[in-house]
Amino acid sequence: MKRYKPTPQAAAQIFGAAVLAFLVMPIFAVVPASVNEASFIKIPPETLSLKWYGAFLEDRGWMIALFNSLRVALLTTAIALFIGTLAALGVERLPKRARPFVIGAVLSPLIVPVIMISIALYYVTRSIGLYGTVPGLALGHALLCVPFVLLNVSVSLQRLDPNLARAASGLGARPTYVFRTVTLPAIWPGLASGGVFAFVLSFDEVVISLFIAGYSAKTLPVKLWEQIRVEFTPVAAVASTVILAFTVLLFIATRMSARKRTASSERSQ
Amino acid sequence: MDARQLHGVRFDKVSKSFGEVKALQPLDLEIKPGEFLTLLGPSGSGKTTLLNIVAGFLDPNTGRLIVGDKDVTALPPRLRNIGMVFQNYALFPHMTVAENVAYGLKVRNVRGPALKSRVDEALEMVQLGGYGDRGIDQLSGGQQQRVALARAMVIEPDLLLMDEPLGALDRQLRKQVQLEIRRLHAKAPRTTIYVTHDQEEALVMSDRVAIMRHGEIIQIGTPAELYKKPNSAYIARFLGESNLLPATILHSGNGETSYRIRGYEGNFTVPAANCAENEPGEAQILVRPEALKISQTDENSLRVVVEEAVYLGELTATKVRFADGQEGWLRAMNSPAHSVGDVVRVTWSPEDSRLLPKGDQADN
Repeated sequence: MKRYKPTPQAAAQIFGAAVLAFLVMPIFAVVPASVNEASFIKIPPETLSLKWYGAFLEDRGWMIALFNSLRVALLTTAIALFIGTLAALGVERLPKRARPFVIGAVLSPLIVPVIMISIALYYVTRSIGLYGTVPGLALGHALLCVPFVLLNVSVSLQRLDPNLARAASGLGARPTYVFRTVTLPAIWPGLASGGVFAFVLSFDEVVISLFIAGYSAKTLPVKLWEQIRVEFTPVAAVASTVILAFTVLLFIATRMSARKRTASSERSQ
Repeated sequence: MDARQLHGVRFDKVSKSFGEVKALQPLDLEIKPGEFLTLLGPSGSGKTTLLNIVAGFLDPNTGRLIVGDKDVTALPPRLRNIGMVFQNYALFPHMTVAENVAYGLKVRNVRGPALKSRVDEALEMVQLGGYGDRGIDQLSGGQQQRVALARAMVIEPDLLLMDEPLGALDRQLRKQVQLEIRRLHAKAPRTTIYVTHDQEEALVMSDRVAIMRHGEIIQIGTPAELYKKPNSAYIARFLGESNLLPATILHSGNGETSYRIRGYEGNFTVPAANCAENEPGEAQILVRPEALKISQTDENSLRVVVEEAVYLGELTATKVRFADGQEGWLRAMNSPAHSVGDVVRVTWSPEDSRLLPKGDQADN
């Protein structure tokens, strides 16, 4: 190693490290707090214990919230994948000049303050009987998730050789068969990462959920929020860790499958 | 398989524009059943547009397209029974070689042992027997192109369409696959439209070549016709090397046309059959380098200065300069050695020359 000399690169690296530390800091707070023996939050924990995990699993309220969250997230993912993929396919067929307008319209829920969307959803779900239901929540979450599916699938579509679909239809395949056998396998990575985004966003969503979950469809983040307002117990840290674990596992899974894909396509080159 | 019906193709005033751009001028063209027709032209000349209209990937603005005796203008690609080979192969990357070849057969409800035997047969045909289980990414470019060919031909298409299929291959491989395509065509003729910008490829492979430029077919004929009787200096330059000299047409009659060559005294003649231009006035005279010979007499000859002699193995190419300063070449098997600066006379027989319209000097 050469003698250390401060350079602009080093400054940038230190700054980058600081930003990263700031971003991951909550993880280092929440995870240790969840394995603390004591009945109050203490970092670092004095005695390690999984007893609060037991409490979390035994509490009917937390379990219902966890299952609600899973149901909502899965349904949201399905809705967002369906609408987002169709939107991406549709945008691809539009004249180039019209595309930004349609994409902008689909992305607009990300620009409007979520609180406004939530208030609107509250009135709408009340009047059509979807308030406090899993489908109602999923539809609300889908508003925020469709844009991510659209963007991910669009990227895959842009990489797709248009001659593949032409070749298939020239060989006599109907459009639906072409989509199922040629287009879908090719854009699968985009669907996978868009789907993971949708799941994670929904699983972690608070604002819309607070407004329209009601009592009967309370999700994990809503339950967590209610709990923390009263007191911040280690069980809350456990719930946070559960959300965190789901998110991290899903992203790791997609990264690994993406790496496998690129590895197998690079092997031959 | 042997009782296969061959279909011709007829274009009836087919045209296509993209906005303001006229990609294809209204065009009439007839392709005979079993014919191998090449569309040859630089990029932007409309050849790929024409091919995509035949495939059904583009709808023409006007006109009709008739395959066999059926008007297919409004048919979607999947109902046209075409085999298409793309420049970038367009093989399905997530399928094996056999699955790629089987695709069109599966769509046609061929199943089980019949499917397997036809796929194997098609792979045999392109000399890739035993490669069925390979992934596409395990094949070389040339092999991939042969899989694409097998995939297109296994469905017994009425028409085989190829869009610069050898463009991505290196020169050596290109020659090999050219001959292979030629061999397959000779064995089982199938109406084929082949698009390329490579003149040599067009001459080697085709029954007829249509030369396209600015959305029009400017000349169509057998490779020999196009080489020997080009209608313009553009085509003469495009196909092979040529000596083009500015000329003035004097008059026509008695089956021949007389003209003068700029910078030279005396009149020359050319048979009327060799005139793409007849009107008195400016024109160009074309003599191919192999038709030009060193002459000992004054008759029908031009004085030139030898500029360079290039030994090419079986023949010698001699670069000469004409009186008006223009360069030209003559090419002969056993050309007597001339040194640079020699003044010699060159001659040709009138039937090996051709009068062409003026213009088309360098713009292409």
